[in-house]
Amino acid sequence: MDINHQHRLKTRIGAGLRHITLFIAMSIICIPGLWIVLNSFRPTVDIMAKPPVWVPRGLNLDNYRAMFGGAGEGGVPVVQYFTNSLIISVTSTVIAILIGMAGGYAFARYRFRGKSAIFIGLLLTRAVPGVALSLPLFIVMAKTGLIDTHVGLIMVYVAMNVPFTIWLIDGFFRQVPPDLAEAAEIDGCTRWQAFWKVEFPVAKSGVASAGIFAFLTSWNEYALASQLTRSTFSKTMPVGLRDFTSEFTINWGGMCALAVLMIIPALILTFLVQKHLIAGLTFGGVKG
Amino acid sequence: MKNPLKSLLAVTTCLAMGAVLPAAAGQFDGITVEAKLIGGQQYEGLYGRIGQWEASTGATVKIVSKKNHFELDKEFKSDLAAGTTGWCVGSNHSSFAPQYPSLYTDLSPFMDADEVAGFVPAMISASTVSGKLVMLPRAQFDVSVLYYQKSLYEDDAKKAAFKTEYGYDLAPPATLDQFKDQAIFFADPPNFYGTQYAGKDEGASGRFYEMVVANGGRMFNDDWTPGFNSDAGKEALGWFVDLYKAGAVPPGTTSYLWDELGAGFASGTIALNLDWPGWSGYFNDPESSKAAGDVGLVVQPMGSAGIHTGWSGHHGFSVTEKCPTPEAAASLVAFLTNEASQIAESAGGSLPTRTAVWEHVVKAAEGDEFRSSALNVFKQGATHAFPVPKTPYWIEASNLIYPELQAAILGDKTVDQALQDAADAVDEMMQENGVY
Amino acid sequence: MFKIKLPTWFVLILPAILILVAVVLIPLLLSLYSSFTPYRLTRPDTLYKWIGTYNYEKAAKSWVFWSAFGRTVLLLTIALNLEMLLGLGLALLVSRVTRGQRALRTVMMFPMMFSPILVGFQFKFIFNDNVGLVNNALQSLGVTTAAIPWLVDQKLAMFSIIFAEVWTSTSVFAILILAGLFAIPKDPLEAAKVDGCTPWQTFRHITLPFLMPFIYIALAIRSLDVARAYDIVNIMTNGGPARRTELLWTLIGRTGYVDAKMGYANAMGYVSIFMAIFFTIFFFKKLSAARAELGMAG
Repeated sequence: MDINHQHRLKTRIGAGLRHITLFIAMSIICIPGLWIVLNSFRPTVDIMAKPPVWVPRGLNLDNYRAMFGGAGEGGVPVVQYFTNSLIISVTSTVIAILIGMAGGYAFARYRFRGKSAIFIGLLLTRAVPGVALSLPLFIVMAKTGLIDTHVGLIMVYVAMNVPFTIWLIDGFFRQVPPDLAEAAEIDGCTRWQAFWKVEFPVAKSGVASAGIFAFLTSWNEYALASQLTRSTFSKTMPVGLRDFTSEFTINWGGMCALAVLMIIPALILTFLVQKHLIAGLTFGGVKG
Repeated sequence: MKNPLKSLLAVTTCLAMGAVLPAAAGQFDGITVEAKLIGGQQYEGLYGRIGQWEASTGATVKIVSKKNHFELDKEFKSDLAAGTTGWCVGSNHSSFAPQYPSLYTDLSPFMDADEVAGFVPAMISASTVSGKLVMLPRAQFDVSVLYYQKSLYEDDAKKAAFKTEYGYDLAPPATLDQFKDQAIFFADPPNFYGTQYAGKDEGASGRFYEMVVANGGRMFNDDWTPGFNSDAGKEALGWFVDLYKAGAVPPGTTSYLWDELGAGFASGTIALNLDWPGWSGYFNDPESSKAAGDVGLVVQPMGSAGIHTGWSGHHGFSVTEKCPTPEAAASLVAFLTNEASQIAESAGGSLPTRTAVWEHVVKAAEGDEFRSSALNVFKQGATHAFPVPKTPYWIEASNLIYPELQAAILGDKTVDQALQDAADAVDEMMQENGVY
Repeated sequence: MFKIKLPTWFVLILPAILILVAVVLIPLLLSLYSSFTPYRLTRPDTLYKWIGTYNYEKAAKSWVFWSAFGRTVLLLTIALNLEMLLGLGLALLVSRVTRGQRALRTVMMFPMMFSPILVGFQFKFIFNDNVGLVNNALQSLGVTTAAIPWLVDQKLAMFSIIFAEVWTSTSVFAILILAGLFAIPKDPLEAAKVDGCTPWQTFRHITLPFLMPFIYIALAIRSLDVARAYDIVNIMTNGGPARRTELLWTLIGRTGYVDAKMGYANAMGYVSIFMAIFFTIFFFKKLSAARAELGMAG
């Protein structure tokens, strides 16, 4: 009886400790974000107040209203920025995943000469800091007329995301034993069918992870976007954030409001994808 | 028609008047003028007038880019690099204009002499680079004056204590030394500070520059060798260092730039603040500032040479060399900076760059005590204004200077060492660029 | 008809190679060329002047450059290690939670939804010594009466930057490792339990080796990606004050765009690329070794 009791106590304490640590960790993660959300509902004077105003004196939607308002009131072309961001991020993610799947499959399943070299080469393209790349890229794109277009930015984001998606998907495909596909082929499927029916579902979590990363990278990217966009025709939301900063001031309230607007779709999408992120892998199907 | 002659006379007069204004009706039908303008609440009000110009000239204005100051500068540089400078009108600033010697064209051939004479002469001279009038100033002029908390100077206890300690009456400072004394006197860290200053980027270099001039020195000698490593320079840097050491400024001031400084004074924790006129409305607005109702202004102080500080700049518009329709572009630029436009723009609180509009603005403020007295101070301050040194390497030099200033302020280096290092770096840079 | 049969793997990889050549390689060659010229943005004619390795020599002799380089390596090392450990811990904690996992995982990924410049502005404000959240909280709680200069003091400024960077990216590690945790086959785990291993032993000998490939992937990607920290540092301190937090990217960015000295900036950029290459190859070798151990090499 005693030993059981002790064991149960230990387990409970362990669980308790785990929960507390988790709570603290989550707080650290959330507090800056919540600060921004809170500030989007307060006038700037409260945000900058000293001594600090901890309990908000009256939340209102003024910042949001101003943001959607006309040019004179501090309005910003939010809807256009949002649309641009959405189009560019979604398109580049989808393309990056397709290219990534193709590439990842090739690396996971085939052997060929120079494989490691090509793989490292692909990854190294990520090594280029945006700052060194943006000007030459600008010059090239200016000559080809791609500045301030959706296409230009989409191409750039696909290039940014492809190495990571390939690597991630390659990693997941490797987890899938080739036997699965072979078993399917023996049962009469073509290579193509075997892939879609058997291997892909199993690597779905890899594809989902890669997709979410690609989307968030594109959604939040600033350095290249600010260089390659000019007008509301293609400006994305991170670049729009800078609209709230000027030579002399930062409009904190407005910036926080736009930030909240940026976070919401990312939040929703991430939540939706969670289920697939951790699709259970079972090896029992083959190993029995 | 009742009297055809009278009507004809009226029409002719109108046309003649129209000819005095650079834009004549229907003159630029079918032309599209591409513009890259600075964005931001304080600058956008003016753009509402573009429609009028379009209507009267038949041209269309296409704003292809609207970004903030830094982004726009980056964009211009990228355009120069890529050779895509075929757009026509660009927002410019007197501190940045010397950087783009090949980008913009001389506007004087397109302008009437009277039009140009209507501007404050100092503005035109600041807008002239290498003999070319590269921009027309808009009603966005800045020179820093001294803001202070009035209540501090009306407090008898403080007045007595100050007189005892420093030996002269407590009044808003007229010299940099008095400024320093009073800042140290009022400081009570961490809740209250005597003053604050821009601690980085061009802000720090600019403030240093104006103090050097106020102390009788120069940033650059005539041959563009660095001239700030002098007694005047050491005195100027010493001013910043002493304040920091005495704890009279917030310790984070070395990373402050304009928005932090503005927020600082507005939070009511700063006694004296050398800052730009655009803040006056913000500082006195109870919705945004704790110091509202307690804000005093006085003209910026003098240095040891009896010269007032006065680092200033103004925004304006320029026309590119490669613009295919320079007359139309020049017409737009002239319209946006003419008297009517400046009256409209300065109604938003900014300072004009045309002499006639100054008088109009002062008149319009009658009845608003705060604004009237503020304008008075701005007008005085403007008489002491001077622009940045006119070298295309000002920004680059500034980037070499401010880290050394910071090093001295933070105590990493002595004043002498910091100035020597800065001078060496600037010297090397000038040589590398082939200046000498 | 002459028909070329391209090997399948080539066809599969081709799109990736094409897009990367177009978007990365060509501009890279352009900037490599410009690093051998005194290219200034404001004087485009300087692009056609060849000065050989002058820029590289200048960088090699520059104390400012090397101290930025050293600081960058230091930042990378500390940040990556912290992110890995914290990410691992976080993933382990989250994997044990039974209820509300989905919501928890979404919250965990919260920092990834912030644009780097937003993170920069946010932390710049939070760490502001006068009106910032941290100092205000410390003062309100009575912990200190001084205004701690988070963004000014040498060590504190580096700490603030590292904090901001770790805050942004720990989630990346956490989610990757979490996915890896869920991908571990159940059999060995159950077998270990039946055989009486303690949780620590199970972790060390079974879980961890399985996770290593994922950890290395994350490390390599993050080490390349830390260039994203440019936006954060640029806004928080811009390398200052007095160059105390000067990293390679802030130096390169300022030299290239503000000073308009693109040639020199690109030369410095290439040195930083070589450094990134080193990190990548290092992690990749480790990755292959880890995979070989698990029998997943191919």
